[in-house]
Amino acid sequence: MIKKVARYLSLYRIFVIQYVKTMMQSKVDFFIGLGGFLISQAAGLAFLYLVFEQIPSMREWNLEQMLFIYGFAQVPRGLDHLLTDNIWMVGWQMVIKGTFDKYILRPMNIFFQIVCEKVQFDALGELLVGFALVGWAVSKGTVEITPIRVLFFAVSVIAGAVIYTSVKLILASFAFWLKDSSAIMTTAYEVADFAKYPIEIYAKPIQAVLMTILPFAFVAYIPSTYFLIDANIWRTIGAECAVALVIWIVAYKLFQKGLTIYESAGN
Amino acid sequence: MSENLIELKNVRKEFVTAKHYPGFKGAVKSLFSKEKIRKTAVDNVSFAIKEGEMVGYIGSNGAGKSTTIKMMSGILTPTSGSCLVNGLEPYKERKKNAKNIGVVFGQRTQLWWDLPLGETYTVLKEIYEVSDQDFTERMAFFQEVLNLQDFMHSTVRTLSLGQRMRADLAAALLHNPKVLYLDEPTIGLDVVVKDRIRQAIREINQKYNTTVILTTHDLNDIEELCQRIIIIDAGKKIYDAKLNQLIKDYGDSCSISFEWKQRPNALQMEKLQMEKTQMEKTQMESQQNLGGKLEMHINESNVQVCFSKKEFTIAEVFAKIMGLIDVKDVQIKETELTDIVKRIYQGNKGNQV
Repeated sequence: MIKKVARYLSLYRIFVIQYVKTMMQSKVDFFIGLGGFLISQAAGLAFLYLVFEQIPSMREWNLEQMLFIYGFAQVPRGLDHLLTDNIWMVGWQMVIKGTFDKYILRPMNIFFQIVCEKVQFDALGELLVGFALVGWAVSKGTVEITPIRVLFFAVSVIAGAVIYTSVKLILASFAFWLKDSSAIMTTAYEVADFAKYPIEIYAKPIQAVLMTILPFAFVAYIPSTYFLIDANIWRTIGAECAVALVIWIVAYKLFQKGLTIYESAGN
Repeated sequence: MSENLIELKNVRKEFVTAKHYPGFKGAVKSLFSKEKIRKTAVDNVSFAIKEGEMVGYIGSNGAGKSTTIKMMSGILTPTSGSCLVNGLEPYKERKKNAKNIGVVFGQRTQLWWDLPLGETYTVLKEIYEVSDQDFTERMAFFQEVLNLQDFMHSTVRTLSLGQRMRADLAAALLHNPKVLYLDEPTIGLDVVVKDRIRQAIREINQKYNTTVILTTHDLNDIEELCQRIIIIDAGKKIYDAKLNQLIKDYGDSCSISFEWKQRPNALQMEKLQMEKTQMEKTQMESQQNLGGKLEMHINESNVQVCFSKKEFTIAEVFAKIMGLIDVKDVQIKETELTDIVKRIYQGNKGNQV
C-alpha cells in the first residue's frame, strides 16, 4: 500500500514536471490565463462591493462575514480547479473522440492518469483571492484564530475540494452514456458560483438543490457558520465531510461503471 | 496454461445507438425518439494464437478489425464470449494486461505531443517500471532498427508521419510486451519507411519472440511479415489459415494476355469464341470444378484469358490460342495476394446472398 502510494506520488511528480515543461513552451498563454483569472476575480469582488454599498448587511450577515464566506468558497474551488481540471476533457472531448483509449492502455489507475495530465495554474488566482479575503476578514476580527480552527479550516477546504471534484466527475462520467456532457458540466459549474454567498438569500427550490443534487452549500457556507457564529461542528464540518465521502463514492462508482460501457471511436 | 497466448471464443460485440433521422427535422425527431439500432461489429469470432506467431488480421473498412483489437487490449468489453490474453481477461484485469501488451494505432499517437521525443521514453520507463539496464539496452536496439537518433530531441508534433510511426513503435515496445497489436502501422507511409518498419517488426519478433497481430490494408505487409492470415468480413471470421495454405487454396488463377500482330478477322474471332465455349464445356465436365472463373476478353490489341491452373495448364491454353491467331507477344500474370483476398470477400458476399 505504502509502496503503491509512493509509486503514484513519484509518477505524479514526473507528470507534473512534464506538464510544466510543456507549459513553458507557451508562456504568453500562461500569463494571459493567470491575468484573466485575476480580472474575473476582481470583477466578482467589485460586484460584491457594489451590492454591499447599497445593503450594508444581508440577512444578519455583515460585509466582513460575507467576504469571509466568499473567500472561503474560493479556496476549495481553487484547489479542485488546480488539481483536477482535466476531468473537463473527459466530458467534453475524450469520450466522443475516443482519445480516452490511451488511459486504458496504460498500467495505472485511470482517474489518476486523467488528473495528473494537467495542473491548472490559472487556479492560483482563485486561491490567492480566497486566502486574501479570508485573511482580510480575520484581520477585521470576524473569526478568532485558534490552532484547532486552523486545522478544521484545512479539513473543510479538503472536503470542499472533494465535493467539487466529485460533482465534476459525476457529470463528466455522464459522457460515457451521452458521449458529450460538457453542457451539463457548464451548467453545474455556474451553479457552483452560488456557493459564494449565504444560502438564505436564495429561493427555497434553489436552496434545496444546493443542499442535495449539487451540494455546493456544503463547500463553504455551511462550514463557514462554524467559524463565524460558532455553529455545531458536527452539523457543519462534520456534515461537509460526510457529504464529501458519500458523493465521492457515488462519483467513483459511476465513473467505473461508465468505463465498462465505454465504446471508443471508430478509426 | 495452454500454449495459446491469445484465445478468443465466440466473441461478439454489439453497439447500441439511438436511431438518427436525416436533416434538421430528423435531428429534432431523434431527440424524442426512443428507437435503438443494434449493430453487431464483431460476430461470434473465435481464434487462438500461439506465442511468437505473427498474424495478419485483415478485412475491409468497418469489418470489425479494430473492434477486435480493442477487445483484446481491454478498451472494449465484449457483449458475449470470452477473450483471454496471456491467461487474463483484458477488460477485467486491465492494469495487469496493460503490462503484457503494446499497441500502435496507426491513426493515433501515444507520444506526448508537446514534448521532445526522448522525454516520452523516460516517462514510459517510469510508467512501466522498466529497469535502467533494460531501458538502455532496448533503447540502443530501437535506435539501431528504427533509426530514432535523428529526431530524438525533436518535439513530437514536429515529426513526420514516418518518424512518428517509428517512434510510436518503440514506445509500444519499451516494456517488452508479450503481444504487440499493430492497427494499420503502415498507413500513409512511403515505401522506404514501410520497409524499415517491416524490417524492425521482424527483428523484434526474432529477438524477443513477441507475438504480433497486425491489421492492414496493405497486403504486402502481410506477405512480408505474417505466417498466418485471418480474414474478417462484416464481423464474421471468413478465413483463417497459414499464408502458404492460402496461396495453395486460392493462388491457382492465372491470366495470360496474347498481343496479336494484327487484329483477327471475323473468322478468327468466331473461332476464338468457339474455343471459349469449348473450354467452358471442359471445365463443366471436369471433376475438379472448383468454380474457378474462366474468362476471355477481346480487347483492342490483345486477347486476355483468365483461368484456373487446376483445370488447364498454361501450356494447354498457349497451344489453343496460338493455333488460332498470330501472336506477337505474351504476358503471364499469376495471382497476387490482393486478388485472392478480393476473391475471398466476393465468395463470402456470394454465399450470403
